[in-house]
Amino acid sequence: MTVILETQKLTKAYRGVPAIKDIDFELQAGEIHSLVGENGAGKSTLTKIMAGAVIASSGKLLYRGQEISFATPSEALNAGIAMVFQETSLVPSMTVAQNLYLGQEKFLNRLRGIYISAQQFLQSLNFTVDPTAIVSTLGAAKKQMVEIARAVQHKAEVIIFDEPTATLTPEEKRHFFALMRRLKQRGVSIVFITHALEEALAHSDRITILRDGEKVQSGPTASFDRDTVIRHMVGRTLSGELYRNRRDAADIRKAGKKILSVQDISMGNIVRNNSFSVYEGQITGVFGLIGSGRTETFKVVSGIYKRNFLRGGDIELDGKPVRYYVPAPAVKDGILYVTEDRKAEGFFETMSIAENLYSGLLAAGLERVPYVSMREMRDLSQHWSKSLNVRAINDNARVIELSGGNQQKVVIGKSLVQKPKLVIFDEPTRGVDVGAIAEIHQIINKLADDGLAVVVISSYLPEIMNLSDRILVCRQGRIVEELSPQDATEEKIMYAAVH
Amino acid sequence: MIFDPILDLFRGKAVTIPPMDGAFRSNTALDEADAVLKIAAPDNLAFDGTHLLFSSGTDVLSLAPGSDKPERVERLPATVTAMAAGPERGLAIACDDGTIVIDGGKHADKRLTPASLGNLACPTALAFDGADHLLIAQGSDKHRASDWAVDLMEKNAGGSLWRVDLETGAAQRLAGDLAFPYGILIQGERIVVAESWRHRLVAIPRQGGAAQPLLTKLPGYPARLAPASDGGAWLALFAPRNRLIEFVLLENDYRAAMMQEIERPHWIAPALASGTSFLEPLQSGGVKTMGIHKPWSPSRSYGLVVRLDAALQPVASFHSRANGRRHGITSVVEAGGQVLAASQGGNAILAIDWRAEAGA
Repeated sequence: MTVILETQKLTKAYRGVPAIKDIDFELQAGEIHSLVGENGAGKSTLTKIMAGAVIASSGKLLYRGQEISFATPSEALNAGIAMVFQETSLVPSMTVAQNLYLGQEKFLNRLRGIYISAQQFLQSLNFTVDPTAIVSTLGAAKKQMVEIARAVQHKAEVIIFDEPTATLTPEEKRHFFALMRRLKQRGVSIVFITHALEEALAHSDRITILRDGEKVQSGPTASFDRDTVIRHMVGRTLSGELYRNRRDAADIRKAGKKILSVQDISMGNIVRNNSFSVYEGQITGVFGLIGSGRTETFKVVSGIYKRNFLRGGDIELDGKPVRYYVPAPAVKDGILYVTEDRKAEGFFETMSIAENLYSGLLAAGLERVPYVSMREMRDLSQHWSKSLNVRAINDNARVIELSGGNQQKVVIGKSLVQKPKLVIFDEPTRGVDVGAIAEIHQIINKLADDGLAVVVISSYLPEIMNLSDRILVCRQGRIVEELSPQDATEEKIMYAAVH
Repeated sequence: MIFDPILDLFRGKAVTIPPMDGAFRSNTALDEADAVLKIAAPDNLAFDGTHLLFSSGTDVLSLAPGSDKPERVERLPATVTAMAAGPERGLAIACDDGTIVIDGGKHADKRLTPASLGNLACPTALAFDGADHLLIAQGSDKHRASDWAVDLMEKNAGGSLWRVDLETGAAQRLAGDLAFPYGILIQGERIVVAESWRHRLVAIPRQGGAAQPLLTKLPGYPARLAPASDGGAWLALFAPRNRLIEFVLLENDYRAAMMQEIERPHWIAPALASGTSFLEPLQSGGVKTMGIHKPWSPSRSYGLVVRLDAALQPVASFHSRANGRRHGITSVVEAGGQVLAASQGGNAILAIDWRAEAGA
């Protein structure tokens, strides 16, 4: 096989701190090459250099044997290298079809024509996305599909997927992997960044593992198994402790006082007569497929969305009826929602860690003095950065410069400064590497051990089964089943989620 | 939020159904329970110290320990609606026609009729208060006990609690305006009553007075109460609450038309058993998928027994879910170290393995 894309001693440093160091990487023609590593390992930096989004500090990039340097992503795209970014790069106010053909419009552009063309193209990929839908109305999974479709549509020879499956349902994932195989048959070379190691092991030809900005291992997929991948990624074996099933009754925390009682809350067609309770000192896991209404339910609880005006149900917090129209009073009452979309809703990306944490304090009205105290901000930042193990160059680092796992820790810290009674984690480990997953799980477990009521919403079954003391399954806008971790099996949970 | 009570006057107050979680967490304990006896529509379980007494239709039967051959004790002219075992092997039996008969004990063969009791015609639960007094729950002042579904659909609250002096036959009204009282438990100086249509347990002073709520927002319709050996109590719930029935209860015109035009077994109302006729409501894809009856599907009938602690708070529960068969639990009793439940819908008396503390 010929090497289509190659890096030699590639290095990129930010403020003198190397994000990647002396990386040699080879992508062969027509192969699927998985790139795995913890957050902050340098996967995104490496691939962004390949796609022209970042310029390397030193080293060589060779494309078809010739040294090349891209100043912009469009140069890379014109050369045949496309990248599907983790964070959406679609124009939210335009339709799906307009986004697909953005930059390729004819002089006389006929909207109907591009809708028909987009419809046919999306159907050929088995993606059920309405080409006339405005992108801002789409969910995260559908946006990801449009991103993928756009890259495929450009007929690139090298496509780099940065965590494409994080927001997809199992069904959508199957379509995606089928698409990846079809692209491979056409001779397209694929770089596939994923945190789901099973996906890397099942669908790639070769795997390269990065750690702390350096390449630690590369080879055919057959030479790896889950534990060896993790060992190379984090320097220790985490697999067992991360996703073991909790079958032992002694492992399961007993329910404390009922902190939240939700009865028959309804919101449009998404949340329908949903009833459940949450108890102190326990982790309540909520599983459901995308669109099952689990996120929306907890957004209603925390005042982000409003329930139906007429007969919209009752919510009791600590035995008292509450109804929030905006999140601020919910935060003051101790209900905290840690968002699934941290980039859009979780933090102020251009502000520092300290400023983000302090903004959480201000939102709850818990600041010590009625003016912005730099000392309080600094103390807060030092305390939470240490207790949550946020790894950054310094406290003044902007959150956008942190890796996904560290960003998530900042979001969690920003919530925990608000002294909550009930913490709702929505997909707490989405887009987070294995090492950070373990740390985030530890934080969640500690909160429950400390007596807080904790809700974990997740689409990842092993995570739900490992973390939860009770498992609620959401389907079509309501909780249909409750299982204890002892009784729960993946089959039982999926049956309830689907039927 | 402060305007909600005012707005509710115009938009209608939302009726919410509490979830079955915590102590009410669903399980299949009743479906897995051993059947002590299979018999048509068992009800009114009582224990006289040696034998289990129960009714089946118009018969009162007795079952010796370890036996599976019940013996008939009495045959009444109408369906037995309530029973209570008392001191000196006395047994009070109430019928659907309102008659109450005392069998055995100090007041053997005493007969109380609605006429003698001042039109007390709907006995739904009985309890001896000492050897000389009998507590009677009158479910409705308009209907017979067997017409409970009509009483619910009319949203009546004409039930009452009475104490009858068995020496003189004098009846004293202890409390009124109860929404179908269906279970009685004497606890010290108070009488605990299960108020079915209001889904709650209330406490009434032994000498009479206002009812004070003890346990509210039950997820079903409470029926009989029985004392537990640890100082707590057992509560049977004969049917579940569900959204459709709650909706129908809000729609007066629809309900009136339904009661007039549709046969009672096919009303959108709670039931002791369901799924036996294709004419029943709730036959849709929401109930069965690919031939499998979903346990979480809405159902008109359900099996539920709850263990209450000494403060009458739920600590564990035993279920037969929508896809189960042991529905319509109207009575429960502790007898000889066993906890027995009568499943009218499942036509069986069940021995519950309560030490498993399902749902706790």
